[in-house]
Amino acid sequence: MSLLELKNVSKIYGELKALDKVNIHVDQGEWVAIMGPSGSGKSTMMNIIGCMDKPTMGEVLLDGVDIARESSKKLTDIRRDKIGLVFQQFHMVNYLTAVENVMVSQYYHSMPDEKEALDALELVGLRERAHHLPSQLSGGEQQRVCVARALINHPELILADEPTGNLDEANENIVLSLFRQLHREGTTLIVVTHDPEVAEAAQRTIVLEHGRVAREVNNENFDPNAI
Amino acid sequence: MSRRKMFLRMITASLLRRRSRMLVALLSIAIGAAILSGLVTVYYDVPRQMQAEFRSYGANMLLVPAEGEKLSVEKAAEALHLIPSGQLVGQTPYRYVSVQMMRNQQTFVAAGTDFDQVRTTSPYFTVEGDYPSGARQILIGKAVADTIGAKTGSVVELSFHPQSTESTETAELKPGATLAGSAVGFNQNPVYVSFSLDEEMKIRDFTVDVSSQTEEYGGQCGEEFFTRQFTGASLPLTLGEDIDAVSGATITSTAVVEAVNGARPTENAAAVTGNTLNLQVTGVLETGGKEENYIFMSLDDLGVLTGEKDSIDVMELSVSAGAEELNSYVDALNEADNGVTARLVKRITNSETAVLDKLQALVFLVTAVVLLLTMICVSTTMMAVVTERRKEIGLRKALGASDGSIRTEFLGEGMFLGMLGGLLGALLGFGFAQIISVNVFGGSITLQPLLVPITMIVSMIISALSCMLPIKHAIAIDPALVLKGE
Ligand SMILES: Nc1ncnc2c1ncn2[C@@H]1O[C@H](COP(=O)(O)OP(=O)(O)O)[C@@H](O)[C@H]1O
Ligand SMILES: [Mg+2]
Repeated sequence: MSLLELKNVSKIYGELKALDKVNIHVDQGEWVAIMGPSGSGKSTMMNIIGCMDKPTMGEVLLDGVDIARESSKKLTDIRRDKIGLVFQQFHMVNYLTAVENVMVSQYYHSMPDEKEALDALELVGLRERAHHLPSQLSGGEQQRVCVARALINHPELILADEPTGNLDEANENIVLSLFRQLHREGTTLIVVTHDPEVAEAAQRTIVLEHGRVAREVNNENFDPNAI
Repeated sequence: MSRRKMFLRMITASLLRRRSRMLVALLSIAIGAAILSGLVTVYYDVPRQMQAEFRSYGANMLLVPAEGEKLSVEKAAEALHLIPSGQLVGQTPYRYVSVQMMRNQQTFVAAGTDFDQVRTTSPYFTVEGDYPSGARQILIGKAVADTIGAKTGSVVELSFHPQSTESTETAELKPGATLAGSAVGFNQNPVYVSFSLDEEMKIRDFTVDVSSQTEEYGGQCGEEFFTRQFTGASLPLTLGEDIDAVSGATITSTAVVEAVNGARPTENAAAVTGNTLNLQVTGVLETGGKEENYIFMSLDDLGVLTGEKDSIDVMELSVSAGAEELNSYVDALNEADNGVTARLVKRITNSETAVLDKLQALVFLVTAVVLLLTMICVSTTMMAVVTERRKEIGLRKALGASDGSIRTEFLGEGMFLGMLGGLLGALLGFGFAQIISVNVFGGSITLQPLLVPITMIVSMIISALSCMLPIKHAIAIDPALVLKGE
């Protein structure tokens, strides 16, 4: 069953076509990797799917709703209710502790629940660092907090824009195994990456070039039971 | 955890963990609030202090007898229950009587009073020597001292000539009797008359002494054209019927007629003697005013001298109250019908009000300027804060924060800041007001407890208003741009 469908989506900045008639289809529970050279439109596409930007042309169907036509207020609601975001830079509120950062997400979504937030940090292996400020955490630890924050509200769709781009091997593996777990639990994942190893963890890879879909590859080696 | 608790946790964390920037905003609010609350404190305290200050320019209210009544210290005290004792700074009785200096037969005004109270209602009196502190002691005005050549330590002998109004016993009048009388004329100065009665009980040999009166007006009552009206007239006389007043000298004319009507038989018309006292001068009074012409003594001594104790002519009051309150007391006193009439001493009360009005305008102006400056400063700081926190705001939006949440959070931070700044400012302001008060007015002030919450609320409103523009900018931040992350 289709969760997300992009139909002829274009994003045009003046002369530049950041996205040029992109057609993409993602099923419920599917794990898709997006690859492509820098400037090929990956982040632009993620922003549109993440309801933070609108396409110049085309339809973006999320759960059957064309989000290209919604008001920005409605987009905020959809983003809050359905989507978990992980960014390349580990964006945290720098004056809040790890657990408070997770709770911010709960706060905007529904009810802050410290115990649940601590459980999420436990999941990413940071239970003991819950009360540390971002400045006291390493990059990898911060990104793991961001993953915990993205999954705390049990979103249908997790969007990750180069989540491992700035991580060392060990932290990359931790993040990947978190994705595998989310996938097993039925969460749909779209992960932008430069790293072939990260792309190989997904079921399918879509390659963008100059704002167009250059090719799509199914991953024969995908192992649903890997940890 | 409730959403409210998380909200508070977020905004307090923002303020407490991002100290340096917030300190600037906090300080600007605190300083603004300090100046504000300081000014307001001074403003509310100044009238009180000014009233005290103004009191030193003399009495601001008078009690005089109501028409047809007599005034006494007891009666005045009774009536004054209407004024709270805390506000009644001083109440000085005065009784004016003409007395004669035995040595040279000159006439002066003796003022009976209460010296302790004089110091409260007339603090500007300067005395060379001391105020009288015992019986048979007097304070003499500088003009009196110069005239009679007396100084501190001198003993003077004063005598009293009974006045018509004070003569209680009416001695039998017979043909051939010689009579003498006196009455108070212009400016509390006495006039004296003497005459005899002929077989038909008509006046003859009429003489009058109006030397104490002003030469060009009352003095004319000594002229033949006036005095001849008395010869052949029968007692009692009525001014306007039996006697025509000298135009421009009604008071003296009236006094002469009164003196005639009140005249009593005497052996020797040249020396109408009442009582005589030896009194010691303890000090010479300098005021630059009419008081320099008076001889001040205690009411008791004046009572001994005149043989009549209780009555007084006027009670000077110093009441610590603003113009409005003073007016209300005057009305209350007059309505109470206690046999007294109250009046304001207008000049002082009016200038008091004028000064306070100007002060009020000044405080409002300064307050407005300070509020504006504070708002500009807080607004600028908050604007810098929004710029500094672009990423965080974008992140919050990406996490699902609505425009309303962003607004509430910044407003919350701003108002929390306003509350802290207001509290700090209220305390600083009290110190500031205290310094002003001590340096300018030489008195300390009392902390108005209500001013603390009021300052806090005003500061909260000011910082909320200052946050409006920065919040607009925060809401306009596009999460996509912020998070693209190049
Ligand atoms: N707001 C923008 N205004 C103008 N050009 C933009 C904007 N955002 C992205 N672009 C351009 O669109 C292209 C695609 O950018 P992006 O989606 O960030 O690429 P990627 O994430 O694949 O590196 C780039 O050439 C970039 O310069
Ligand atoms: Mg990118």
